[in-house]
Amino acid sequence: MFVYEKRLEYPIKIKNTNPKLAALIISQYGGPDGELGASLRYLSQRFSMPYPELKGLLTDIGTEELGHLEMVGTLVHQLTRNLNEEQIKAAGFDAYFVDHTTGVFPQFASGTPWTAATMQVTGDTIADLTEDLAADGAMA
Amino acid sequence: MENPNPNACGVMEGSLPGKCANMVFPYIPMQSNSTERYDQEQALAAGTLFPGLNLPFFRAVKSKMNCPNNALCELMALGFTITELGMYLDTHQNDKEALALYLDYVKLEKEGRKRYEATYGPLQQTSVTAAGYTWLNDPWPWEAMDGGKQ
Repeated sequence: MFVYEKRLEYPIKIKNTNPKLAALIISQYGGPDGELGASLRYLSQRFSMPYPELKGLLTDIGTEELGHLEMVGTLVHQLTRNLNEEQIKAAGFDAYFVDHTTGVFPQFASGTPWTAATMQVTGDTIADLTEDLAADGAMA
Repeated sequence: MENPNPNACGVMEGSLPGKCANMVFPYIPMQSNSTERYDQEQALAAGTLFPGLNLPFFRAVKSKMNCPNNALCELMALGFTITELGMYLDTHQNDKEALALYLDYVKLEKEGRKRYEATYGPLQQTSVTAAGYTWLNDPWPWEAMDGGKQ
């Protein structure tokens, strides 16, 4: 069960919009090593974890990753507020805008939609933990 | 046949620095018990409760957290510390000192929630009162320019 808490994990206050930056940061939302993949990876791998420490840790980390997902979505949202057509074109944000306007869509910076093909759940303790190292190490 | 990968190691060979590397054995050191900790505000600003895990990016500028000391920032700092300590306890369930600290922070966080909600409204849908259904009141967290009330 999950219960929503109406606050961010860390304060986010962006004064100046920057759609060019938003088009890169979106990868941390729905990219191959982004927060959506991180949360689903941990929250899915936990079902086959045999050890209490790991069941707890994957549950707690996966839950925190959902909080990170919300923060990254907030960054993208705040970076793309109140844009006019000229700013959208000048920033190269037009390709994203034509499909999603200023909605926050889980995709790679390169435009590929988020895909579960970027993560793995093997049911094998060591394989899953090694995959977690690779995924989290990609972001450091 | 020519070796397609001249840098690959032969069986039982390989060392670094050198031409080829052994197969990798990832090694993650265990976090020790009763490890040094930041206070909750420092923890939220650094992104970790544990100085030993604070490894900023090379040449990263020192984090400047824009969070005045109000009810929300206090709650965020307490919440973050509880998250960190909770995950530490997942792998150190017999650390009595950490458990006592965890319970202290949980108590402080409960008090902090009351202070925040008295001014800014419900943190969870179930915290609404008979005075009115304030759950829908703006701003939502992603809209807030200061991470709380505008």
